[in-house]
Order: sequence, then structure tokens, then C-alpha cells
Amino acid sequence: MSGFLDGIRCGDCECNVDWGEKRNTIASIAAGVLFFTGWWIIIDAAIMYPREDQFHHAYHTCGVIATIAFLMINAVSNGQVRGDSYSEGCMGQTGARVWLFIGFMLAFGSLIASMWILFGGFVVASKETVYPGIAVFFQNAFIFFGGLVFKFGRTEDLWQ
Amino acid sequence: MTGTIMTPALISLSFGGAIGLMFLMLGCALPVYNEYWPLFLLFFYILSPIPYCISRRVVDDTDSASNACKELAIFLTTGIVVSAFGLPIIFARASVIAWGACALVLTGNIVIFGTILGFFLVFGSNDDFSWQQW
Repeated sequence: MSGFLDGIRCGDCECNVDWGEKRNTIASIAAGVLFFTGWWIIIDAAIMYPREDQFHHAYHTCGVIATIAFLMINAVSNGQVRGDSYSEGCMGQTGARVWLFIGFMLAFGSLIASMWILFGGFVVASKETVYPGIAVFFQNAFIFFGGLVFKFGRTEDLWQ
Repeated sequence: MTGTIMTPALISLSFGGAIGLMFLMLGCALPVYNEYWPLFLLFFYILSPIPYCISRRVVDDTDSASNACKELAIFLTTGIVVSAFGLPIIFARASVIAWGACALVLTGNIVIFGTILGFFLVFGSNDDFSWQQW
């Protein structure tokens, strides 16, 4: 029993963490938190306001398109767009650029649509509860920024 | 080194897991709450290590700094963790469970995900991650 605390050292953590090589992990975690928080916000709004006149069910389309855009943006790597990856892929470099273009268009479109839904469908229409509109806006904003963080927060340099 | 550090770590991790599950069961089974909906979180607990384990098995190049499969697995794991925190909050907001039960369940969440993370930190960082070590 004597000396059983001798092995404990305080402040001896060898925290030589190389934050440079953890960048991809941190970006993935941040993108995951943003993306899924966005979806849970809309799930919460859908549960709290289930009636059609409180929260028109067609407004869910915005978040679905934003998710499709997220998947499209992150399906192509930066290397394929620059043209310096080993394989050409299905459509080549031009196809990858067109795919990325359409993906970003859908992402920006859904973000703008969510703002339109909030202001046109809830604020101007003077609904008694604006929360579903705010939830749609925040869902799309979080999904959009999650997509950006996942796309641009990670680096593809294999040798740093 | 493996013998001296593995066994106390294993015991403390299993203790952590037991405490986490205790909080989850308290949140369900206390007479003042008596709602068993939070047991759906067990589904998320079981699901959470799976993406990372699959990515470790499928891709073998552990020496490259960027690895798209591993990052996708971390993304999905983060999503599962966020969902495990979101579900009790939504239950409480919809008045399916009480807020006290929600607080107990969220505490259990923190302990269990800390245990799973500790498991991967202590036992996962081997050069040849293989199940034969067991």
C-alpha cells in the first residue's frame, strides 16, 4: 500500500501533438458536428410543430437538396479537379469540374432558398411561430458550412 | 509494457462503461421517470466504433497523413455521437421523457463516449491492429 501514489506524475503529459497532421481529423470532426447538428435542428422543429399550417412540409426539400449538394461537393477530390490525380475517373477533369460546379450551385441555391423560406414564408406572412423558419435557415446554414469545412478544411498533401 | 499498462487501463475502461450504462438505466428506470425510450441510445453506442474500425481494416497505409476513408469514418462517427446527444434532448422537448431523465442520459453519454475514445487511444494505436491480439 505504501507508495502506490508514487507512479502518478502531474503535468508529465508528452503533449507533443503535431497539430499540423491533426488538421484533417479536426476538420472532419467539425464538419460532422455542423452537418448533423443541422439535421437535428430540423428534426426538432418537425416534432415541435407537426401541423401543416405551422410548418409546411415542402420546406424539408431545402435541407435534402443541401445534403445532396454536400455529397456532390465532397465526392470529388481537389486533385481530380486540378487534373493531377493518377486515374481520370468516370468523366475526366472536365467532368469533375462540371460536377463540382453543379454541387456548389445546389449548395448556394439551398442556402438562399432557406433565407427566402424564413423571410417570405414566416416573417412576412406573420406566422404566429417563426421558429420553424429559423430552424430551416439554421439547418441549411449548418449543412452549407459543414460542407465547406469538410471540403476545404482538409489537406490532400501526403507529405507535409 | 503491454502487460503493465493494458490491464489497469482495461479495468478502468470497463468501470467507465459500467458507470455510463448505469446513468442510462437510471434515466430510464427511476420510479419518478419510468420511461424506457432512452434505451434507443444503445443503438448509437454500438454503432459508434463501427465506421472507424471498418476504415482501419480496409485501408492499410497508416503512414500517409491524409486518408479520405479514415476522414469519412471520423465524420460519420461524429455524426453518430451528435445524434446520441440530440435524441434525448428531442425526447425531453417533446415531453416524452422528463428533463431530469435527459440530464442523466446525457451524463451517461459523456461517460460512455469517453470510454470508447479511451479504448481506441489505449488499445488502438498499434502498428498492426488485428483482432488476434485478444
